[in-house]
Amino acid sequence: MSADAFPSDRGALVRTEGLTMRFGGLAALNDVSLSVERGGVHAIIGPNGAGKSTFFNCLTGVLKPTAGRIVVNGEDVAGLPPHAISRKSIARSYQVTNLLRGATVLENVRVAAQSRHHPWRLHRHYRAYHQVIDQALAVIDAVGLRGKEEDLASNLSHGEQRTLEIAIALATEPMLLCLDEPTAGMSAAETRQTVELIRRIAGDLTVLIVEHDMDVVMGLARTVTVLHYGELLAAGSPAEIQADPRVLEVYLKT
Amino acid sequence: MARRSGYWIGFFLVLGALGAAPLVLPEFWRRFVTEILIWGLLAMSSDILIGYTGVVSFGHSAFFGLGMYGAAFGLLRFRPNLWLALAFGLLAAATVAAFVAYFSTRLRDIYFSICTLVFSQIFYVIIFTWTEVTGGENGLVFRQPPLSVPGWQRAFTPATLHWFVLSIVTLTYLALRQVTRSPFGMVLQAIRENESRTMAIGYDVKRYKIVAVMLSGLCAGLAGILYAVQNRFVAPNFVFFDVSGEVVIFNVLGGMGTLVGPVLGAAVFFLLREGLSRYFTEYYLIPVGMIFMLTVIFLPQGLLGFLRRQLNQ
Ligand SMILES: Nc1ncnc2c1ncn2[C@@H]1O[C@H](COP(=O)(O)OP(=O)(O)O)[C@@H](O)[C@H]1O
Ligand SMILES: [Mg+2]
Repeated sequence: MSADAFPSDRGALVRTEGLTMRFGGLAALNDVSLSVERGGVHAIIGPNGAGKSTFFNCLTGVLKPTAGRIVVNGEDVAGLPPHAISRKSIARSYQVTNLLRGATVLENVRVAAQSRHHPWRLHRHYRAYHQVIDQALAVIDAVGLRGKEEDLASNLSHGEQRTLEIAIALATEPMLLCLDEPTAGMSAAETRQTVELIRRIAGDLTVLIVEHDMDVVMGLARTVTVLHYGELLAAGSPAEIQADPRVLEVYLKT
Repeated sequence: MARRSGYWIGFFLVLGALGAAPLVLPEFWRRFVTEILIWGLLAMSSDILIGYTGVVSFGHSAFFGLGMYGAAFGLLRFRPNLWLALAFGLLAAATVAAFVAYFSTRLRDIYFSICTLVFSQIFYVIIFTWTEVTGGENGLVFRQPPLSVPGWQRAFTPATLHWFVLSIVTLTYLALRQVTRSPFGMVLQAIRENESRTMAIGYDVKRYKIVAVMLSGLCAGLAGILYAVQNRFVAPNFVFFDVSGEVVIFNVLGGMGTLVGPVLGAAVFFLLREGLSRYFTEYYLIPVGMIFMLTVIFLPQGLLGFLRRQLNQ
């Protein structure tokens, strides 16, 4: 499909059309049509069970949507497997920490970076590929995990594990980074650092973030989309959303 | 650096001891060591899946058996040539491995294991019943091919056969060691640690598993060929699933994810069987099973993991 088919698409990196995900009788997502512009941080908010993680799971190929389209750069990617989505330059972190627990911090990030280089080499030592290691070290440096390279992922503190989640995603060189509650369970200081990190990242790529902390959302996001029981309730700038009476009613008050 | 040279010192010491074995050991024990090398190769091949990729194959008897029968087929129907036996055995094992890999890698965890088990039993039944080609229940008997290179050949002596087996096992070990530390090998280990995360960072996990199963099956087939050449016969009971079960036991006993651990596991298993069957006759599996359980409980890293930790202290 050509980009001209959707002239209104200019600037939109991701657009969903009628995205629906049913689990038996429950519609975790119901006819959700939204678009995410290129650049900056975009937030998805909504009460628990609103379908935010399900939206990420559909977008990253973990779930095959029941109906609807997910258009990335003019191409429908709905239903592609996770590894194919990753190769479309979409990366994610998980709400529940999901690491190579028995591997070191460096190996977690290195193997993610390697997927963009020479994964099918069978005969040379993996350490001979200096470029991959340098790239991984640069990412580890950028997220502030320097000095922890040789630590096992399972031995990191909770906050460090959350940061490693982001580092792994970054190492795949995405243009869209989806973060599912990146600050969940973090201390106030760690949250502040993570917000700073996300702000820095968003200079180079587009960040889609699910977040509960309203201060974080309002401070970071260019646009906010509100989901409620799987339906799109509202979308707009942080100021618009904060002033929207429907949003106030279902979400901000509770 | 010290650790690396320590590794190579250990490697050459063990290689030297195994190389000297036929010169110093009496006939029974020489044969015993040669056979352990062959079973060790089979166990090592399975470690690629159990130890590195994190999927348990209960179908290695099929790869082992097809290597054996492929070699026997080449030797009986064509020429008694060692390299021809090798080519036929590897071809047979590769074909079966491709088949099993294609179907089993669609499944995860225990379903993968069951799938490999079911396929190996299917091949057992085929071999058991296809009497014209496989000799059925009786198997096949053939003459040992000579050790040959173009323009030169000699009948195997017990010592040259041992050295031939030792060189193949050593070369396969070195190749597999390289593979497990290659970019590809690191992806296998990522799959073992976290399959869904490995997919999410861009790896087509199923394709990696297919290649891992094929590689593993090919090395298991190689072990089958060596066994056929050593013993000059093949029989369907080597394709039966209890062989696959023993291979898993070798891995757990010796230490998964180490390549040499499973060889050590095979050696310990056969030594135990040898020693215990003198007192327990056919009930030797009872004490062996108890020792196995004690290993799982007290040495979860296997014997090699335990020895390594002792040496590092
Ligand atoms: N794999 C699944 N199977 C069945 N129901 C699910 C599954 N994943 C999510 N759900 C349900 O879908 C709804 C939305 O869940 P989720 O997307 O996790 O919400 P959020 O992330 O917004 O808190 C919830 O009611 C949840 O129970
Ligand atoms: Mg969620």
